[in-house]
Amino acid sequence: GSGRKEKLRASRKVVVRRLPPTMTQEDFLQQVSPLPENDYFCFVKADMTYGTHAYTRAYINFFRQEDMITFWETFDGYVFVDQKGHEYPAVIELAPFQKVPRARNRKKDGK
Amino acid sequence: PDSTLASHPGVIRPPMHEWIRKLLYQDLCKSNTEKILRHMRKLDWDDPEISSYAVKCLTFAWNVKYYNIRCLANLLAGLMSYQEMVGPMVADGVLEDIRLGLEVNSPKMNQRRVSMMKYLGELYNYRLIESSVVFKVLYMLLAFGNGGPSEEGNRFGELDPPDHLFRLKLVCVLLETCGQYFNSGAAKKKLDCFFIYFQRYYMAKKEDPIWSDADHSPFPIMVKYMVQDTISALRPKLTLFSTLQEADAAVHKLEEELLLKALEVLPALKRKMKPTDDLSLAVISEEEDYADQ
Repeated sequence: GSGRKEKLRASRKVVVRRLPPTMTQEDFLQQVSPLPENDYFCFVKADMTYGTHAYTRAYINFFRQEDMITFWETFDGYVFVDQKGHEYPAVIELAPFQKVPRARNRKKDGK
Repeated sequence: PDSTLASHPGVIRPPMHEWIRKLLYQDLCKSNTEKILRHMRKLDWDDPEISSYAVKCLTFAWNVKYYNIRCLANLLAGLMSYQEMVGPMVADGVLEDIRLGLEVNSPKMNQRRVSMMKYLGELYNYRLIESSVVFKVLYMLLAFGNGGPSEEGNRFGELDPPDHLFRLKLVCVLLETCGQYFNSGAAKKKLDCFFIYFQRYYMAKKEDPIWSDADHSPFPIMVKYMVQDTISALRPKLTLFSTLQEADAAVHKLEEELLLKALEVLPALKRKMKPTDDLSLAVISEEEDYADQ
């Protein structure tokens, strides 16, 4: 079924983990600019219940795997710094869940 | 207890946030899931602030009563038909929480981690994630931060010392939640393989010298029963290994078989192998990729 096709297609979705808890989506996009072509970008706010282990993170589904690898080589371990000067080396990994929402064709909910 | 409330006493939330929390964390139960779904559909999903808060609440399953976690997964599955992006966002969030739980490894997080493991299993039951994701997590629970199979005598890293038994609990919770569906085809084979590794992990914990130290309590019998019950509920005919040596030998045999199969499919692999190479883990992930569905 479609599951098999999914598996054989190369992974293109990464998660950028351990970003500064105060970072905003705008900060992130500015610092990694220009972000290569992608069909899914999602920035997630920090979960402050984790205290000193609260981080923001970002998911990116690249169009091309070459772009993903270049991005990975550039930003895995790259040190992001918050306003107070604390350093946060980013960790980039393949997202364990590779699916992304289908782009922009969601039907409007009549509710 | 609600950890969010506990850590922020006197927190005042916008009314819409309170409304979402009330729907999901107070009202939601088996009999009203349809009604709560209608309310959730009516949220202003085009407002990024509201939708990100709703996704967060849908992710934090530990705020829901344990026996209602399945209702949260059911609700999410229903909501996916209208707001497709919530499924992947919640799945990503749950997987991140499981991962961070392993990295932080704080006993304060234990109940939360159990809830999230249960939720992951229910996400599989409601077809929001595939079995391959469940197996990724199962193997992560055994392997994260721990030495590879070649590092005999130094199996457990500092995130998972020999007398930490919590990961056994997490594996059992996940398998009790969704393991009954891994009973045919590739998923069945994958679970059979996993049980060999799981038993080895369990035996390595159980046979660790620490339990025979005079000033240390013996290996808890309840953990032994929990592991045995989980495995025998899913594979009643399986005879469990009685020693670590037996389990090690079974893993070794399995990895040799997988290696031979991999060489059939990919003869080029042989040229890349040094006689001392331990390719077992790489081979297993290949096997997983091609054998699924």
